[in-house]
Amino acid sequence: MKEEPASRSLSRRTLLGRVIQGLGVTVALGHVIPRVQAETGDVSKHEADDLIVHVARPLDAETPVQEFASYLTPNSRFFVRSHFGPPLAELLSESNWRLSVSGLVDRPLTLTLKELKQCEEVTVTAVVQCSGNGRAAHRPKTPGVQWDRGAVGNARWTGVRLRDVLTKAGLQTNGRHVQFQGADRPVATTVPRFVRSIPVEKALHPDTILAYQMNGRPLPLLHGAPLRVITPGWMANSCIKWLTDITLNQDEAQGYYMQTAYRYPTRAVTPGEVIAVGDLKPVEAMIVKSLIAQPRDGTSLVPGPVTVQGAAWTGVGRIVKVEVSLDEGQTWEPARLIGEDQPYAWRQWQYLWQTSIAGPRTILCRATDDQGQTQPKTSPWNPSGFLWNGWDRVSVTVAE
Amino acid sequence: MRRLTLVLAVSLLGLAALPFSRAGTAPEDQAKRAPRAEGLVLARCSVCHSPDLITQQRLDRTRWEATISKMVHWGAELSEEEAGLLVEFLAARFHPAAPAVVALSDVGSAEPLQADVPQTLGMPGGVPQYGATVFESNCQGCHGAGASGGFGPKLVGNPILNADALFWETVLHGRGSMPAWEHALSRQDIADVHAWLKTR
Repeated sequence: MKEEPASRSLSRRTLLGRVIQGLGVTVALGHVIPRVQAETGDVSKHEADDLIVHVARPLDAETPVQEFASYLTPNSRFFVRSHFGPPLAELLSESNWRLSVSGLVDRPLTLTLKELKQCEEVTVTAVVQCSGNGRAAHRPKTPGVQWDRGAVGNARWTGVRLRDVLTKAGLQTNGRHVQFQGADRPVATTVPRFVRSIPVEKALHPDTILAYQMNGRPLPLLHGAPLRVITPGWMANSCIKWLTDITLNQDEAQGYYMQTAYRYPTRAVTPGEVIAVGDLKPVEAMIVKSLIAQPRDGTSLVPGPVTVQGAAWTGVGRIVKVEVSLDEGQTWEPARLIGEDQPYAWRQWQYLWQTSIAGPRTILCRATDDQGQTQPKTSPWNPSGFLWNGWDRVSVTVAE
Repeated sequence: MRRLTLVLAVSLLGLAALPFSRAGTAPEDQAKRAPRAEGLVLARCSVCHSPDLITQQRLDRTRWEATISKMVHWGAELSEEEAGLLVEFLAARFHPAAPAVVALSDVGSAEPLQADVPQTLGMPGGVPQYGATVFESNCQGCHGAGASGGFGPKLVGNPILNADALFWETVLHGRGSMPAWEHALSRQDIADVHAWLKTR
């Protein structure tokens, strides 16, 4: 990242010249339904329907949790998050887009999408979740997009193993960190680019892929067309969209988005406390979490049996238990795990609730994974509001 | 490079300090500075992000200072005085105890940053061939090549081209997700773009 020593007015001009590549949606502010163009080059379909918009530009929008009653989250309902918005579609067209692999490799590569697809095709079903999902629940409030519960989704990602591409390039033994950069750019050249890296161990894992399909369809523009990184089990900050550059380095990527942002304290901290750099580490694996998709918060239920259902997932390992509490966490009853049980995907669960008492009721859920981790009532406060996994809570009213 | 070093030095808490002045915090001071602060948000902050990113925050003064410092280091065009005014405004309006939903503005009328609100009669005549160049480097990213539409609306044949006052108001002060351009483009640049769009 070099800063050009331009005069103030010139830099301002450059800044605005780059303005808003991919300026979002023609929406007003607040919670509205964006009408965003669909797959690259196709403006007739909608790519993001009925999402809850937190930031209109660059678009940050979450999925209403009732969507999570289905195993796979549809592309058009999948949460959208990026720092700068999508690049111009023409930069991503088949004729213009290239993937560069360079740095500590024997044979630097420049690949077209077609060339990339010569590697073996693989499919992984994986949860992708924003590190800040649930940030709005932290107290005191922390800065950033105030995600509620829906900055997460479960999708089938199809692509090629990152390992195969790195092997093709011949990674050298001192290449310890794999750096990613996408085609998205900030409006101002003075804003750091979104550059991140993952340790080579994660990059070489056979389930870490470069995906060009999402749920069997070409990757939509808002989700990183034509190629994005998928690091199953890890938070979405590693899942770089619009990928164009892979660089093998000896060290972690430099720059704000790796060295300052997306870091989490390794010890308990209190609000306002100054945290030494050495006490912060990159946000990587997800932690155990579950959500209630049905019934919806605020709904009124007729007395009788009610199916409470949702999804549960973790970063390392499998979900082994989901429990429901109807008395503010004093007692817990097991829910039934249903549907597919795949590594990295979420697990669906159901609980049959015989409503007996009329009036306002609260439903809580918590999950446990096979590493012995159980969702806490509230998550530890941290300055950026990452990794919220407190008990999920839905309030309903049972009619007389 | 020096600025880059500074950026990197900004910790998670971003406590690198600008010399924010502590202006009065009385309600009448707040009311007085509001129109200007709102104007700054629309003209300066909105270049990179829509104001909803700001209005959803609930931060104390220290964190607002850190945030504004970070943004200035990243190129937000704010003088020291403007940055100080914004901190006062934001810390008073979007503080931790503020209600869940707070609009940027109570009155919805941000003060234009320049006194010369557009009088279309006084606008320069435009030169279409220059306008094409200005459009390409400033507007095309959103409105598409040839103004045929993209993330922003199609401008070819758009009725706004014949509604001079609305056109100038929109370009100068922004509207919806479109940022304000009055400090980025000269009046002549805008007139040139306008003239070029009319030829399309």
